[in-house]
Amino acid sequence: MKIHVYAKLKDYFQPEFELLETIGNTDELRAVLVKMNGGADELLSSCRFAVEEGFIDKDFKLKAHDTVVIIPPSSGG
Amino acid sequence: MTQSSSYPPAAEVSHISAEPLDLVGLLAGAHHPGAGAVVLFSGEVRNSNKGLAVDFLEYEAYIPLATQLIKEILEEARGKWQLHIAIAQHRVGKVAVGDTAVIVITASAHRSEAYAANRYIIDRIKHEAPIWKCEHYADGSQEWGNNCNCHSVTGDVSKHIYETQ
Repeated sequence: MKIHVYAKLKDYFQPEFELLETIGNTDELRAVLVKMNGGADELLSSCRFAVEEGFIDKDFKLKAHDTVVIIPPSSGG
Repeated sequence: MTQSSSYPPAAEVSHISAEPLDLVGLLAGAHHPGAGAVVLFSGEVRNSNKGLAVDFLEYEAYIPLATQLIKEILEEARGKWQLHIAIAQHRVGKVAVGDTAVIVITASAHRSEAYAANRYIIDRIKHEAPIWKCEHYADGSQEWGNNCNCHSVTGDVSKHIYETQ
């Protein structure tokens, strides 16, 4: 599973990286990421997730070949 | 200002731009014979934040989703306020103090709709569009800034509270 992160998440992770673990949904993905870097826990809890250029919810079933984009709270304007 | 003969439909204006925004050019094209009011909002880079001198801002976006979301916001506003024109464009990359980071233009028959729609569009872009700014301060430090914090109240990262509510 490929992961892309943006903005402040780049203080904790590489902008793009790959996970080999079996991850079924966003809750599991968040737990894996917190294990990788516990400092990102609070920020990750406020992030949205997207696959194939669309937001997904926690019930979305992730697949191994998915590219998941992790989206921190917006700060545009 | 003279009336333009070719109105730029929102679909023709890229919603995310790595180039400086053409405030005057967009406004010059944003006229419609049915519109008695045109409102322009220009979000510009301030020279200070939290008491620190700002050198410049750097914006980053998840462009496919930001583009799609802004398009949807404009479509919704166009229907809700019967707008003749609704345009929004946001910068990415380095933006200097005093430069424009985001533009929203709305045109409608009467001013109340153009004002309300413009406020609605910029509020939703700021809260929802996957766009982020990094403040670069004059002392050399930097900080990702002013994230939407609505989820701490709504309990849902997809639910927002707008200033106009």
